[in-house]
Amino acid sequence: MGKIIVCIKGVPKPGMTKVDPETHTLKRESLELILNPNDRVALEMAGRLKNNYNTEVIVISMGPPNVIPLLKHVYALGADQMILLSDRAFAGSDTLATSYVLAKAIERLSPFSLVLMGLKSIDGETAQVPPETASLLGIPSLTNVKNLFMENDKWIAIREIDYGEEEVEVTPPLVASISPTAFDYIRPPSLKRLIEVKNKEPLIWQAKDLNLDLQKLGLQGSPTQVIEVFEKKLEAKGLILEGNPEELVEKLLEIFKDKGLIKL
Amino acid sequence: MLKYPLSEEQKILIDLVTQIGEEYIKPHALKWDEEEVFDEKPIKALADADLFGIIIPKEYGGLGWGSFEMCLAVEKLSYYCAGVTTIYAAAFLGSYPIILFGNEEQKKKYLPEIAKGRKLCAFALTEPQAGSDAFAIKTIAKKEGDFYILNGMKHFITNGGIADIYIVVAMTDPAKGARGASAFIVEKDDPGFSVGKKEKKLGLRASVTTELFFNDCKIPKDRLLGKEGMGFVVALRTLDFGRCGVGAQALGIAQAAMEVSLKHATSRIQFGQPIYNFQAVSHTFAEMAIKLEAARALVYNATKYIDSGAKDITGISSIVKCFTSDVAMWITERAIQMMGGFGYMRDYPVQKYFRDAKCLQIYEGTNEIQRNIIARELIKYYK
Amino acid sequence: MLEKIELENLPKGSILAYGEFYRGELNSSSLEILSPLKEIGKTLNKKLVLVCLIDSLKDIKNLEEIKKSLADEVWFVINEELKDFREDLYAEVLVRIVKFSRPYGFFFPATKIGMSLAPRIAGTLNVGLCAHVNSLEVKDNQVIMARPTYGENIIAKLISKSIPVMATISLGAFSIKYGTEEPLMKEVIFPKDFVWKSKLKVRNFAPFKKKPTKLSTAKVIVAGGRGLKIKENFQKLFELADILGAEVGATRPVCYEGWVEEERMIGISGVTVKPKVYIGFGISGALQHTVGMENSEYIIAINTDKEAPLVKMANLALIGDAEKILDLLLKKLGK
Repeated sequence: MGKIIVCIKGVPKPGMTKVDPETHTLKRESLELILNPNDRVALEMAGRLKNNYNTEVIVISMGPPNVIPLLKHVYALGADQMILLSDRAFAGSDTLATSYVLAKAIERLSPFSLVLMGLKSIDGETAQVPPETASLLGIPSLTNVKNLFMENDKWIAIREIDYGEEEVEVTPPLVASISPTAFDYIRPPSLKRLIEVKNKEPLIWQAKDLNLDLQKLGLQGSPTQVIEVFEKKLEAKGLILEGNPEELVEKLLEIFKDKGLIKL
Repeated sequence: MLKYPLSEEQKILIDLVTQIGEEYIKPHALKWDEEEVFDEKPIKALADADLFGIIIPKEYGGLGWGSFEMCLAVEKLSYYCAGVTTIYAAAFLGSYPIILFGNEEQKKKYLPEIAKGRKLCAFALTEPQAGSDAFAIKTIAKKEGDFYILNGMKHFITNGGIADIYIVVAMTDPAKGARGASAFIVEKDDPGFSVGKKEKKLGLRASVTTELFFNDCKIPKDRLLGKEGMGFVVALRTLDFGRCGVGAQALGIAQAAMEVSLKHATSRIQFGQPIYNFQAVSHTFAEMAIKLEAARALVYNATKYIDSGAKDITGISSIVKCFTSDVAMWITERAIQMMGGFGYMRDYPVQKYFRDAKCLQIYEGTNEIQRNIIARELIKYYK
Repeated sequence: MLEKIELENLPKGSILAYGEFYRGELNSSSLEILSPLKEIGKTLNKKLVLVCLIDSLKDIKNLEEIKKSLADEVWFVINEELKDFREDLYAEVLVRIVKFSRPYGFFFPATKIGMSLAPRIAGTLNVGLCAHVNSLEVKDNQVIMARPTYGENIIAKLISKSIPVMATISLGAFSIKYGTEEPLMKEVIFPKDFVWKSKLKVRNFAPFKKKPTKLSTAKVIVAGGRGLKIKENFQKLFELADILGAEVGATRPVCYEGWVEEERMIGISGVTVKPKVYIGFGISGALQHTVGMENSEYIIAINTDKEAPLVKMANLALIGDAEKILDLLLKKLGK
């Protein structure tokens, strides 16, 4: 079986999102980043496949240099190789620009059997990058995958859609995004590898290393753009209302509409 | 309140154990205690994290570290659940006999599997009529050709039924008394070996404690650890190393109890102020802190002595076990008191710490026996 | 019989909506999204087209719904290779349609299928795609889309600089509206040389059974306590929950009274919840309960007691009888 490539993302710790007031994009450089929680599920899938089929696992991540500690942490989760895709030109990328960079990096690592990603990140939450990257690579994709194994050189995946679960046979290579509920148990990092990785550094690829078309990168390569951002003010606690039930219920309905619980 | 200077690797160890505690143990500890169930997931996590091999030499797949690191891990893990820690720490009681007394084949066969966490261990010495009086064991191991046939039973054995490797002390020559015991490695699937009922315990309820039965249990002779007659030497020497682990376990439990009750005391308003303002309360916490720091200093000081290769560790390890378990009992009892009615409710963890702590004064040699040992070592020392 | 139309002859510049069919049935979310898209279409003077990929017309179960929908036209692509949902083939077909009909916009419901399909199309076409949009409007001849980001209190307004404008639309963000005229239904004929192949093969399908309680991940929770007085009142919470898309939670006393199953208990001996909105009916807010919900984003308390802990902790507290307010609320919401 060929290589397994896992794409991971460093996301801001919840509660600490900062939006750049000019570009309206999430500021990543100055923040404390954590490994996107869903990516751990993808890494668990990679780990299990590695155990079963004895293949190489390469982890790549597109982000600023402060993603490096995360890549090292992922080494301790069983990655054989760590690659950081980092370049100022990547900043402000939407999912299309991101998928473009990932696809180019993955191409450079060809041949491969499988690309794994978490279902979605907790910051952008679009879940778009896995299928988008697959389309740029010209290979099939599946989302919400709960189980994956090989049979007669084909991937057999159990994937979830809104109606139930399907068992799908796919000719490799495949891009699969893993359902967050795929596993009951997800492994922790290995102590030996945490110590080993102190003396290892990830490979860093910049735009020029991947022969990227600069027009397709960063803000200029991103057709979707945030034009305005509202920070929903956290209401001050303690609005206490008394009155007759009619008035009180009106207030409730108002809040329900405001919170999108009922339609207007 | 004293921060111990730690190496980079020791810090990585503690962070990893903390991560495991937070993710795999904390959300479930109270539930496991309430339902008295053994969950293999935290054990699996500890295994995947390479934590079973802390004291196993590198050439057998371990990290080759010492008691200091073992105690760092055990203390941190006990903070999250002493029951789970008991299952885990039994690995050390299983490894030490093999590391200290095993031959090369035995080390190669068992230590790597223990290091990987693939095989859990149990240490089987106690019998119904032989608790503190360990020399009163009656399980017999009769040599027959290339085998030993074991007959008898053990009880109150941690990890009974879930362990794969059992260090069993049995009499090979009853006439010789204490010098007539031998230590063996019994494996889960050995013919004639079976596990009895699971005990219902006051605390450490996430762990499994059972009886073990040997009915013409037939094991190959290469399972003998060391030589015939060395049974109690193996056992006692193992306990010398294991006692610091109990000390670390006591620290973790006491730390958790103190923190939880302190948080309560500083936010619980009675008579218009936090109860911590009342001296009866704040002084109690001061006393907790005093005892905890003293206990901690004792544990880690002792581990440094043990790791230096010292031979005469019996006395100090007894002192560690005795003092720290008494401290944990005192702190957990006071912690319940500081939390008042809430401390008595099983929805809150502090009562669990109290029940967990009690066992530490009993197992691996009761504190009464420890005092016997200390008294005996004392006169040796001050000849 | 459907009017047959070649790819080259497809009307240009429409707004396309993906009609998600699965085993012959159109997912209602595809009809929901027509509501905002129809408005966009009116403003920009563009036709609204529902695009459906099926294997056979006669197997369609809810054709009537389609006939009543807001779509101006419905384009069917019919081929037995389309029987199962297979991303790569479906995307190829839809990309072909886009290339020939050059629509202004292409929108999908944010179902799992929609979320798997739309990105492939956007990637192949090299256009932008916005996800989980829950509001669309036209301003200065441009479609402005808005979406919240969970966990943080941020709402972002987005545009897409490329054509077609693409987005997946949040489920339940819009309700189905009916049209006045039946849409024109056409079958799109693909050229003979189109390759109907996929690298995927669906071997098996297992439909979902009833889903269990999802209290811990619920985004909206309506919870009831002793203040509701009797079991029958508590049961009304389920009706409210249905309307709001919420889960029902309870305090310990009412669980022990047998008003509801223990799985619904929120608190230190039950479930810990972190919903966006938590509404407590007749709950005083004993420590055992509040510890399990204090991290809710927005807390509404309905209680007769102004001094009750939950009232003090709430973002909005309504001082009144929980039973009366619940009854009136349900009445106003049309139950």
